[in-house]
Amino acid sequence: MTETEKKRKRAEAAKKKSAAYGEDLDLDQFEFSHEQPRRMDLDEVSEEDRDLVSEVGFDASERLASGSYLQFDNESILADVLIGQEGLEVIPTSEALEKYDWLSDYLWNAVPVDTDKYTAASELEHYDGYFIRAKSGHKIQMPVQTCLVLKKGKSIQNVHNIIIAEEGSEMHIITGCATPSDVERSLHLGVSEFYVKKKARLTFTMVHKWSDKIDVRPRSATVVEDNGVFVSSYAILSPLRSIQTFPKVRLMGRNSRADLYSVVYGTKQSKYDVGGALILEAAASSGKIISRSIATEQSEIIARGDLIGKHSGVKARLECNGLLLSDEAEIGAVPALRATSEGVELSHEATVGKVGADQLNYLMSRGLTEEEATTLIVNGFVQLKAPDLPPSLQRSIDDAIKLTLEKGL
Amino acid sequence: MTDDVLLDIKGLRVEANGIPILRGLNLQFERGKVYAVLGPNASGKSTVAKTVMGLPEYEVKGGDIIYKGESIVNKSITERAKMGIAYAFQSPPAISGVKLEDFICRICPDYACKEPDEELMGETCMCRQELYDDFERLGIENLGDRNLNENFSGGELKRSELFQVLSMRPDIVFLDEPDSGLDYDSLKVVGRELKAMKEKANSTMVIISHHRYVLEFVEVDKVYILENGRLAYTGGMGIIPELEEKGYDMFLAQAAS
Repeated sequence: MTETEKKRKRAEAAKKKSAAYGEDLDLDQFEFSHEQPRRMDLDEVSEEDRDLVSEVGFDASERLASGSYLQFDNESILADVLIGQEGLEVIPTSEALEKYDWLSDYLWNAVPVDTDKYTAASELEHYDGYFIRAKSGHKIQMPVQTCLVLKKGKSIQNVHNIIIAEEGSEMHIITGCATPSDVERSLHLGVSEFYVKKKARLTFTMVHKWSDKIDVRPRSATVVEDNGVFVSSYAILSPLRSIQTFPKVRLMGRNSRADLYSVVYGTKQSKYDVGGALILEAAASSGKIISRSIATEQSEIIARGDLIGKHSGVKARLECNGLLLSDEAEIGAVPALRATSEGVELSHEATVGKVGADQLNYLMSRGLTEEEATTLIVNGFVQLKAPDLPPSLQRSIDDAIKLTLEKGL
Repeated sequence: MTDDVLLDIKGLRVEANGIPILRGLNLQFERGKVYAVLGPNASGKSTVAKTVMGLPEYEVKGGDIIYKGESIVNKSITERAKMGIAYAFQSPPAISGVKLEDFICRICPDYACKEPDEELMGETCMCRQELYDDFERLGIENLGDRNLNENFSGGELKRSELFQVLSMRPDIVFLDEPDSGLDYDSLKVVGRELKAMKEKANSTMVIISHHRYVLEFVEVDKVYILENGRLAYTGGMGIIPELEEKGYDMFLAQAAS
């Protein structure tokens, strides 16, 4: 049996396996696409779609990006690398798998294919996605931008991404997921596997904008080798029907590091189950998980964070802070620490609260209105300062958050 | 009432959590003067300031607060602040993610850059250089890019509060124990700032304190002593040595007889 056949067999066996967290979706309610997406050019993207993707940080002029990947449903794909940009590859996963035999070793390596029914279905149905690679030793200065757009109703957008930062490389990816507000019930299934090789640095910044009929089930995992650095920043600022995501990072190399930041701004009746895990397996590995959740209207947010220390001397910290802005909303914080070796240093802080009256009164006494004071407090609360992020990406996160707060409060 | 009266507190009765604190207090504050409000613990000193500022835990049960000729008891904290009332908090709450310098530029337009899009070395200009010069004068230049009140030391809180309320150029400012917990050097800085402000004579200052150092330094115009939620004594700075020697109980008992 070939490796591919073995994976398929494992996927078949996991077809009915529910996920550990989140609402169990009936996949029969949605339809997978059976066609191969076609390649398209930038000038085929309508003004309307350009506006939509710009809301999640995708610059359709492509001027500020070293590479771009844009996919609509499972139908059309744009993949470009800036002319003259060396050491960077951005192509559809299907194409990459044909081009490189070795890539099959990376497919379902970080994320097990039989994780749950979503990964199983993803493998068994038709998929595409992006393959992004920074070649050994290349520092890609400008960010690579990607955007996945879901426009078709009752369908499943089935995406499998593989990102490799080769030895000594540096790469910054900003990715957005967006959907027009009038899309009927659909599911976004996104598998992402990240490989950060020795001494490589990869930052991954993701802004999501869905609509309230969309279910989202990302399945992501990262493997970090010696002295590698992985920084993930995630902002979900729109309503959706439900999201459940729990990216895992395995710090397998000595002195490797991973930081996971997330901001969840809950609106309407959306259900968010958002978490992350760091598995510290190698000496001197370290990391942190920082999450900020704000629940408004009738939204429900569960913020999870797992730190698992398996090697003496590893160090990690978890911060899970929630702010409740509505009596009908709900926030749960579920931090978990596990050490399986002596001398592991793990810590956590979890808080859930409301905007303090004393803070409001204080700011109002300095001349701010109640609304201004609330916005300032919430704004300050979600400040997500990832020290390794290039300023342009920090700004796009800041702008997205600012826009949401201005609209929301 | 003369035209000079800025704030007139009339028969004010105030409760906090159902417990009466002010029991018919009468106080007048004139424009540009400096007042000391003294009194034993729990006499209602801080309550006066917090009630005038409009903090909701202090409920007005009777009497009135006339400011600039109109009653302000039904006005919000924001409205009062905009009318020129300021209060330096004794223990201000921390506000995460809000830098002190950005906050001051926001509450005090004098420090904000005139051109909002003015670029300064690639960064959008938020605050003018004057802010940092003034920070230095108060010795809080290290606090500018820290989160508002977060992990500030006692002395840093006092100086930051003083800086903020003075920046707002209020018509009346209540300073709630601006001198507590300060070392001698900080006391001098605070005293100097208050005195400079007095010399400009554009703000009425109400200093709530137990200590004579700052009061003497700024040369207070009038001293009010509260007891049990009422005004018990009015006098000048000259009484302070006697007060310090005798204590409130004996001083007020003798003054009453």
